[in-house]
Amino acid sequence: MELKAFMPGMIFDELADAVGGYDNVSVETSDRATYGVDYFWLGRMWQDRGQVPPMPDWIVRPGSSQEVSKVVKIANYYKIPVHVWGGGSGSQGGALPMSGGILMDMKRMCKLIEIDTISRTITAEAGMIFQLLEWHANEKGFSCQHIPSCLTCGTIGGALAHRGIGIMSSKYGKIDDQCLSMEVVLPNGDIINTLPIPKHAAGPDLNQIFIGSEGTLGIITKATFRLFEQPEVRRFRAFLFRDMNSGYMAGRDIMQKVKPSILRFYDEAETASIIKKILGFEKKGCFMNLAVEGIKRIVDIEMDIILECVKVWGGEDLGSDYGEKWFENRITFFYPGNIMDIPQMFGTMDTAATYANIEKIYWAMKKAIHDKFGDKVRYISHSSHWYEWGCMNYTRFIVDPANVPQDPEKARRLHNEIWNTGVRAAIENSGIINNHHGIGLKLSRLMKEQYGPAMQVMEALKKQLDPNGIMNPYKLGL
Amino acid sequence: MFSEKAKKHADACRFCFMCRHLCPIQLVTGKENNTPRAKGLLVSMTSRGMQMDKGFAVTMYECLLCGACTADCVTGFDPLIFIREARTQAALEGLTPAFAQQVIDKLEETGNVYGAKETRVDFTGIPAEGQTLVWLGSAARYAVSDVAEALFTILKKAGVSFAALKDEPASGCELGDMIGHVEDVRQRAQAAAAAIAKTGAKKVIVLDSHDAAFFLHECKDWGIELPEIETATSFVNNLIKDGRLVPQKKTETVSYHDAARLARDLSELDAAREIIVAMGAELREMYLNEKDNTNPANKACGSSVRATECGSSLMGQMRPDLAVKLCENRYVDLLRGDARIMIAADPQATEALRLSIPEGCEYRDLFVMLAGRL
Repeated sequence: MELKAFMPGMIFDELADAVGGYDNVSVETSDRATYGVDYFWLGRMWQDRGQVPPMPDWIVRPGSSQEVSKVVKIANYYKIPVHVWGGGSGSQGGALPMSGGILMDMKRMCKLIEIDTISRTITAEAGMIFQLLEWHANEKGFSCQHIPSCLTCGTIGGALAHRGIGIMSSKYGKIDDQCLSMEVVLPNGDIINTLPIPKHAAGPDLNQIFIGSEGTLGIITKATFRLFEQPEVRRFRAFLFRDMNSGYMAGRDIMQKVKPSILRFYDEAETASIIKKILGFEKKGCFMNLAVEGIKRIVDIEMDIILECVKVWGGEDLGSDYGEKWFENRITFFYPGNIMDIPQMFGTMDTAATYANIEKIYWAMKKAIHDKFGDKVRYISHSSHWYEWGCMNYTRFIVDPANVPQDPEKARRLHNEIWNTGVRAAIENSGIINNHHGIGLKLSRLMKEQYGPAMQVMEALKKQLDPNGIMNPYKLGL
Repeated sequence: MFSEKAKKHADACRFCFMCRHLCPIQLVTGKENNTPRAKGLLVSMTSRGMQMDKGFAVTMYECLLCGACTADCVTGFDPLIFIREARTQAALEGLTPAFAQQVIDKLEETGNVYGAKETRVDFTGIPAEGQTLVWLGSAARYAVSDVAEALFTILKKAGVSFAALKDEPASGCELGDMIGHVEDVRQRAQAAAAAIAKTGAKKVIVLDSHDAAFFLHECKDWGIELPEIETATSFVNNLIKDGRLVPQKKTETVSYHDAARLARDLSELDAAREIIVAMGAELREMYLNEKDNTNPANKACGSSVRATECGSSLMGQMRPDLAVKLCENRYVDLLRGDARIMIAADPQATEALRLSIPEGCEYRDLFVMLAGRL
């Protein structure tokens, strides 16, 4: 159905009425254009090549859950797509308004609701930039310990929507471990709450249905997180391993015995490129840096145990300086001039697997990409999030500018071919499609390959909750 | 149309989101296009063929030029470069929004953002020539004249012989903020320098930190000769240190707001704080002020001086609605601590922070406070 004459204007007025007036809506071209590029390489390339970005038709900035509810009711009546935008810093194109319609910018919903110092929890509206939440926690002597690279740019809702992770995850967990409860506006406009705590025996955990749903099943409007006491000490140590296997195995042993907050293990290629550039580390091998933190007496013992684990696998002790330097620079890596950028083509194919499979995946992805694309695609990897049973590979491909087609169509094809090749190699070797960046538009087409017949569970949820299919179309394979 | 320098900075910022949590405008509006990266993206799109429109220009004027983004960028990119140029381009294309154009018109007609013909400051007994000149700036001359008069009182009590210009011309700073540092602005700065030279001054005590930064940076870049420039806070603090002023002390708990240009552009953090302490107050730093060393997050990443800007005279005249929100947001920061008295040492900050004072809070201009303690 096409909207004719003054019908778009009628909807504009209705949306303005829903969100407190015309200050909170926009149809300005320059305003809409800023929502057409997030951190996804394809969107960036499209802009760089002077192409028209995907733009929403209406921008709305709700100030409350009730206003969010009104907007989705309007969208459902007119069967208009709804895209939810937090910080816009997602790398998977998850927030891009690929089908136009309404774009809901959540950043007006940024109020702190409560810090419960007895229970050690913090609750805020989902449009708050996560750094501001962390500062609120710090002010009371606590930390959320969700410290991702996008800490200063992503919102609470954004972190939840794509199942994000922070650099301290090996001790404090992923966002899906840290969130206790949420308020969600369903596509029909109903405002629901998950149970007050996640550890119950009252059926499946509703939190885990909406965390990672990327705006396809509802809109997260509030969330409560665990708080942690600030550590008494944080100790760093760096090591060098001769190969990938010894590093993976040392990491496994460490995770079985103690819980480092940071554990990062770099392959030879990344050790020789990024670690060399930022930390000035020159030796050949696979670099590892880690941190243990908490009460000093415990940390001292944990560090002794770590040194024993490393020794078993032949790791060279590099002392504490590199780890401290890495920590100081942990955000510096991501500023323009340091991070990969156009005119390079690049992507992060983060996957995770058990310890039995993780090294196999590392080599399989590397081989698959090399076999298909030869030397024109570089491959670097590190493992930055660890569990008792396995870890993830933060695998990045880089195509240097000379090998990146200028034609946006050709560039898009090459980009998607590299992604298909790398991700399929991970899935075929018992890895997963993604560890912590989400699916978005980038990997949507591969979701059915990952889930097989299990995908029908998510499709059924989608059909029931969003029968008109208005919520973030083309994302998450739904 | 944009300079290569502006394009380079815009292209660096267009995909970077790292400083959005610090932009005082974005924090109160929640609008994506109020973030530095959105402004960079729009400039980048315009450089690649997108038509500039009114919305583009509005976006570029919804900025305090406070430099929070610039100060935080660890790789040295500066959104203010392309935002100023975008304002120039908007003017050339006839796209300047009405709310900004009416301020530009006032600046061109009267030299001040208020369109005022007469200063409110009482210059009785103050000579127009002398070796030490007090430069007030337009906020103190037309909006918060009590601040100017307080500075006069302080200097008189210290026995400082000084001059001031009843017909002080515009420095060019505000016009530069509105249309970029173009030739017209340089000429105004040149005229201001000529007016200063005519007084025979060897030293200029500058009350408004916007003007002080403009004299010390832009005028220097243009090769415009000026006598020694010192901020009023620094000068007055030295009078106290030299024992020429002995303020009465009163025990009370206060917080200090760092005006952006004083703190970031001039790196002046201590003078005002020392004056406050000299008055016997216990200073409690507002959360995330650079001087708040109690918070480890301050040193976590990026650069320092994170204090949020509270507004400016220009914003007050362009977008009074936004100026009130910015003011209210700064008092939210005050209320996060246990002080209920906010002090600032810049006339534009005083103008901005008087717009909406919450119940139970008090605002004091540093110079007005000190004048009352002598």
